[in-house]
Amino acid sequence: MEHSSHESLLKHPNSITYESPFPLYALAISHSPYRVAVGSFLETYNNRVDILSFDPDALTLKPHHPPLSFDHPYPPTKLMFHPSNPNLLASSGDFLRLWDLRDHSIEPLSVLNNSKSSDFCAPLTSFDWNEVEPRRIGTSSIDTTCTVWDIDKGVVETQLIAHDKEVYDIAWGEARVFASVSADGSVRIFDLRDKEHSTIIYESPQPDTPLLRLAWNKQDLRYMATILMDSNKVVILDIRSPTMPVAELERHAASVNAIAWAPQSSRHICSAGDDTQALIWELPTVAGPNGIDPMSMYSAGSEINQLQWSAAVPDWIAVAFSNKMQLLKV
Amino acid sequence: MANGTQTHDGLPENLRKRLAVAVRSIQWSYAIFWSLSTTQQGVLEWGDGYYNGDIKTRKTVQAVELKADKIGLQRSEQLRELYQSLLEGEADQQAKRPSAALSPEDLSDAEWYYLVCMSFVFSPGEGLPGRALANGQAIWLCNAQYADSKVFSRSLLAKSSGFTLQTVVCFPYLGGVIELGVTELVSEDPSLLQHIKASLLELSKPVCSDKSSPTPPKADDDGDPICANVNLEIMDTLPLENLYSPTEGIEFDREGIVELGGNIHEEINMDSPDECSNGCEHNHQTEDSFMLDGINGGASQVQSWHVLDDDFSNGVPDSMNSSDCISEAFVNQEKAISTLKREDVNQHLKELQNSNHTKLGSLDLGADDDLHYRRILSAIVGSSPRLIENLRFHYTDHRSNFLCWTKEALGDAYRPQAQQTMLKKILFTVPLMYGGCSFRLQRENCGKEWLRKSESGDICLGHVLSDNRRENENFLALKSMVPSISEIDKASILRDTIKYLKELEARVEELESCMDSVDYEERARRKYLDMVEQISDNCDKKKIDNGKKSWINKRKACEFDETDPELNRVVPEDSLPLDVKVSIKEQEVLIEMRCPYREYVLLDVMDAINNLHLEAHSVQSSAPNGILTLTLKSKFRGAATAPVGMIKQALWKIACSRNCRTSIDFLTCIPWSLLNLKSRK
Repeated sequence: MEHSSHESLLKHPNSITYESPFPLYALAISHSPYRVAVGSFLETYNNRVDILSFDPDALTLKPHHPPLSFDHPYPPTKLMFHPSNPNLLASSGDFLRLWDLRDHSIEPLSVLNNSKSSDFCAPLTSFDWNEVEPRRIGTSSIDTTCTVWDIDKGVVETQLIAHDKEVYDIAWGEARVFASVSADGSVRIFDLRDKEHSTIIYESPQPDTPLLRLAWNKQDLRYMATILMDSNKVVILDIRSPTMPVAELERHAASVNAIAWAPQSSRHICSAGDDTQALIWELPTVAGPNGIDPMSMYSAGSEINQLQWSAAVPDWIAVAFSNKMQLLKV
Repeated sequence: MANGTQTHDGLPENLRKRLAVAVRSIQWSYAIFWSLSTTQQGVLEWGDGYYNGDIKTRKTVQAVELKADKIGLQRSEQLRELYQSLLEGEADQQAKRPSAALSPEDLSDAEWYYLVCMSFVFSPGEGLPGRALANGQAIWLCNAQYADSKVFSRSLLAKSSGFTLQTVVCFPYLGGVIELGVTELVSEDPSLLQHIKASLLELSKPVCSDKSSPTPPKADDDGDPICANVNLEIMDTLPLENLYSPTEGIEFDREGIVELGGNIHEEINMDSPDECSNGCEHNHQTEDSFMLDGINGGASQVQSWHVLDDDFSNGVPDSMNSSDCISEAFVNQEKAISTLKREDVNQHLKELQNSNHTKLGSLDLGADDDLHYRRILSAIVGSSPRLIENLRFHYTDHRSNFLCWTKEALGDAYRPQAQQTMLKKILFTVPLMYGGCSFRLQRENCGKEWLRKSESGDICLGHVLSDNRRENENFLALKSMVPSISEIDKASILRDTIKYLKELEARVEELESCMDSVDYEERARRKYLDMVEQISDNCDKKKIDNGKKSWINKRKACEFDETDPELNRVVPEDSLPLDVKVSIKEQEVLIEMRCPYREYVLLDVMDAINNLHLEAHSVQSSAPNGILTLTLKSKFRGAATAPVGMIKQALWKIACSRNCRTSIDFLTCIPWSLLNLKSRK
């Protein structure tokens, strides 16, 4: 199985590609009937989210029939389906919006706006749907706060000033525990039962180097992964030993753009970056002296901007690069 | 079939005991005897076995401590019983089983492997045992879990169960095949083989792992895994909550044992590694089993939470059991043989061995193996779907899009000039595209800048490290920044800071409303792109300064020449030459505008409305005295709605449009509030 990496795009008939008319960023995959939501990335007001249908048996990925899509002001920063309901989609941008996917159309369900005055809003950089308590969505915003919404009632459960600077990502660990990363370079864990205190479990070695993304291992809640700005390292953290990372995965040739833990295995993580590669790592029990090498790799045509490894289809990894979205068999 | 007791018909009676002796003396993980099937010609099937590896959950009826050897025999017995009860199917699972019987959740990875092995059968020449019997020779396989399924048909099983089986040895014996396996890499050693064979013959030696023996022993993973495992079980039961608020009485036991478990990176606090001489290597080993069980497979862990929760709810006796386990392990350690350091394995030699072995087996087992494997799995593992998924993940490697990673890939990989461009845009630029937002942000960040030097200005934050020291430093820094603070105590510092902040905010708001709101959006964007937060922007200042200057000059001129009618028009008194009101009610947007009339102003307004996805359905306009008064009712065209701030901003832009022909026109573009301000001064 030792082929040249350049040919990987051509030699594998198993990869499933969708080519869109515009660059893509946000990606989400739902449970059966396996819908894929793709969000456009155009630096103008008019952006769109399209729904595709994925058939893992027939190996096809094509736009949903009848066509389902909705307009979004400016690029959606994240898309995510409800943990068990494939008809409910959430998007973040200026506000957190919920959408109902019906057979022939997509109806907006609600717009969750936290600001007191209707004029101003705090745009969201990311959000996470709590799998244990699906009525909870946590959002992160550039106004340094994290907000926890009760979407059944459509109200804010709590809002915390999480960091000193803009918060870039948020991830739920448990029903009442979430973690967030920020431009201030720290990973903090919050417990909703004790809102006065947070725990810093990691700070970037160069002070104030923003941490851009965070992923919490849902199979083994002790481990988290994060990436720094302009860095080719994936930092693996153990929440039991704060400040010191368990491992730093440094095999990307350029900076890393996205990370995702395997949904069904607690030891595997996938990362993708500007070097056009997606690497799957298997975290060993004991690391060798030269660091950890990836288990397998995939070379895409251009810089990979987004990576999703959904629990709905654990055998497939979704990547987005330039105008294309691909589903790769693991 | 017998009732799960020791032997089949035709086998030596104390075979299990002899297997026990053999495997315990070299401290390997398991020993299996494959016997010739009575029903099918030449086929090897499970005869008997002895399990000597990691145990996850002990279930015993009596509280009496058994000797180590008896424990092993009992465990092997229990595993056999479990296998048979699983085979009998679900119907029987409802039937009463003894409370001390094992259930699938109690098994460690190695035990799973051992259990599933019971289901395997080998045709003549098939698989490791088959080939050993066919050739009449011993086969020594290293790196078993990476071996091809043609060589070692259970390599996938080993891999997917998480059992790091590294060495397997098979040799023909008494018409069947004996197989031994271990989790470490042991290079082929004929003397070891001899020893095993010898120990199988010696019946009278007592089965005891702690007797000293001259054979090359391995680093002890017999006693340690038990205690490492126990610690791990308990660690697992700590839900996340307990990290924050340990309260119950039982907590003490948990913490005590957790302490023993130690930390992966720091020194392990257990006594046993120190007593056992290996030092660093040994610590790594315990870390191995610790981390191995910790990081491995989801299902077994999740299920063990429930099991052990029950255990703990029973109270002290169970924790006593675990500490018994630990103390027993310690005892074993003390009596254990001092171990020699293992030699490094010769990689090349191993590969040679492996390639030799592949030459022996040439059958294409592919599809048959898959089917057999799946059938066995579905029969045994039916109740734990997650485990199946886990296995499936590793199973479908051969159709993957991913290639094995090689170091060469690093060399000629692509490195773009600008890094993380889309990610940065999504996080830094896109949030600022929403017009109304940066306004508020500017104010907030302005406030924050004062507190930026100190690390926390927020009430909701709490740092774990050096809380108080930092806090005091911060308060001092704050005091030095805010001029009006006189006291030293924290309460008044905060109070004065708040007051000062409010003053600053008010001033900023005033200043901002004076600035040209046209350049507002560009300024905000530039600001964040540079990651520098400043309130003023030099460019805009210049324009306004120019505006101000010319206005001031004109005003001065005005003082001397009060009859200039054009200038009188500039200074407003009651009328408002510039105003934009936007209100949204349900889906309807009402816009009221007043601005100086110029050519195409209405066209610009309609254009802007259109761009914001609004459809005007009613327009009323009039332009008396060169001032346009416009009332416009519109609806949002689609789902995307623009916030009020954005609409307002776009309209302000048009109202203050700089397509001015004369300087007077330009002056009229200056927001009236600036003029108001000037007149006040």
